[in-house]
Amino acid sequence: MAGLELKNLSKAYGQVEVLHDINLAIADGEFVVFVGPSGCGKSTLLRMIAGLEKITGGDLLIGGNRSNDLSPRQRNIAMVFQSYALYPQMTVAQNMGFSLSLERRPKAEIAQKVQEAADSLKLGPYLDRKPGQLSGGQRQRVAIGRAIVRSPQVFLLDEPLSNLDAALRSETRVEISELHQRMETTMIYVTHDQVEAMTMADRIVVLNGGYIEQVGSPMELYNHPATEFVAGFIGSPKMNFVKGRFADTVGATTLGVRPEHFAVGKADDSWQGTVTLVERLGHDTILYVKVPDAGVLTVSLNGQHDQNVGDTIYLRPLQEFIHKFNDAGRPIAA
Amino acid sequence: MYGRWILLFVLGVIAVLMASPLILTLFTSLKPTTELVNPAWYPPLSVTFEHYIRVWTDGGFSRYFFNTLLISVIDAVVMIVIASLAAYAMVFIDFRGKLALQILFLVGLMIPVTAIVLPLFQIVRSFGLLNTHFGVIVADLALAVSVFVFMFTSYFVGVPKALHEAARIDGATEFQIYRRVIMPIAMPAVVTTALLEFLWSWNDLLLRLLLLTQDEMRTLSVGLLNFQGTMTRDVTGLSSGTVIMAIPVVILFLFFQRHFVRGMTAGAVK
Repeated sequence: MAGLELKNLSKAYGQVEVLHDINLAIADGEFVVFVGPSGCGKSTLLRMIAGLEKITGGDLLIGGNRSNDLSPRQRNIAMVFQSYALYPQMTVAQNMGFSLSLERRPKAEIAQKVQEAADSLKLGPYLDRKPGQLSGGQRQRVAIGRAIVRSPQVFLLDEPLSNLDAALRSETRVEISELHQRMETTMIYVTHDQVEAMTMADRIVVLNGGYIEQVGSPMELYNHPATEFVAGFIGSPKMNFVKGRFADTVGATTLGVRPEHFAVGKADDSWQGTVTLVERLGHDTILYVKVPDAGVLTVSLNGQHDQNVGDTIYLRPLQEFIHKFNDAGRPIAA
Repeated sequence: MYGRWILLFVLGVIAVLMASPLILTLFTSLKPTTELVNPAWYPPLSVTFEHYIRVWTDGGFSRYFFNTLLISVIDAVVMIVIASLAAYAMVFIDFRGKLALQILFLVGLMIPVTAIVLPLFQIVRSFGLLNTHFGVIVADLALAVSVFVFMFTSYFVGVPKALHEAARIDGATEFQIYRRVIMPIAMPAVVTTALLEFLWSWNDLLLRLLLLTQDEMRTLSVGLLNFQGTMTRDVTGLSSGTVIMAIPVVILFLFFQRHFVRGMTAGAVK
């Protein structure tokens, strides 16, 4: 196990710099999630840590040792790929034991480690099967198993759940979190899904346009976003951003209100709007409300409500939860 | 309904046209000399293997057969190794001068053998490799390597890059990735290369005629010329020699047909 340190790390393809001045320290045993929209550089950053992309600026320290020029093999890391990348000609057992066989470990030791990993991932009955004979979820487990048997210093996971269906995704999400708790190994997880980031991470690193926007625990990011971008990216449904007269009244360029931070109010102190769409989720009711001068706002009401499309509704933002941003998209202190 | 019958008829005619030279050759090789006066499309009334025995022993075909087999097998095996290694580097490794090398291989595809046969002869002679099987093998490999590098490259391009990366993460060296990860899944390309190179080597006449002038070094294709004089022609010898030459190729093709077709189309579509 080891911690990582990224010092002024940058990546350029020719003249085009795609990652700029990345500074980040990841503690030993921490579960860190890189999150951001497509093209923000999160996968490139992960691949630089893995040794699959050349580092063009700055330093990468794994366990305190500068690792810029080390091959993936020398970094002692394991990676789970989005596409699983299982060797199709090998059985599950051979896939999982491949790295150990390259190290010329004794066959008995390889078999024992593979069996242990397979048992922990409920893959025991499939050890003699080829990847082509497995379901998507089983393949994903094999990919994780292949990483586990090496007992690496650092686990890297590149959008490992994106090829699974919704039900399997949430199930595997829990399993990965349990795995981390059991192994206590440093894990870096890349995703574009902020729900995955919020539910799994000790700390989240939000990337945008090749820069780190904010690093913090899920609740820090949710409650105290450092930028308008982070405020919009973290939280589901997304935060509402309102400009114009409503923002002016609180002295901000942009007023941010999370959908769950509206109360249905009375006519005198509230924003009047018309319901344009209703999503009934059972535990929550999501309303899309068109408010003059504010646009269409998303409102999440706890429990079941009887509003219908076309109804007039009065919304009151909860003052203690509103976010105020200036011209630069930075928060204005209360 | 009629369309299907017409199609079958047309296909039948084409099949007969394609197969008739082979059938006539087989008939001639099995006929006693006395039956040669009959029209060529008459099947042999009494089958004899005397021409095969004569060609194999007196005609020196046992020696030619061994020579041809030796050259063709070595050609095929070495070509698989060389072409797949070159293609692997082209696809999976970034190195300086990669584009120039790719263009060079592409140029190699465009030059016909006949255009460079004389300089090739000079080069082989200058290395003292004339009348050696080694000289022929080197010339064969050099002339055909572009084709097979191109074929392996097309195949490897279809292999997900993540497999290569996963193996690197697992701690494999480039050669271990080549041998244990990539080559096992490139079997269709391997089989196609083996068959095509074997076939080309087995059937080639020009290079062997040019580079192997001593009788004990000759191959089957050159040996067949012995039955064809300026004024006379040993038809039965020629026919049985041709059949002897064709049998291994036909067996190989029938055996590996499925892999061969798959390899030919590999890389063409995803």
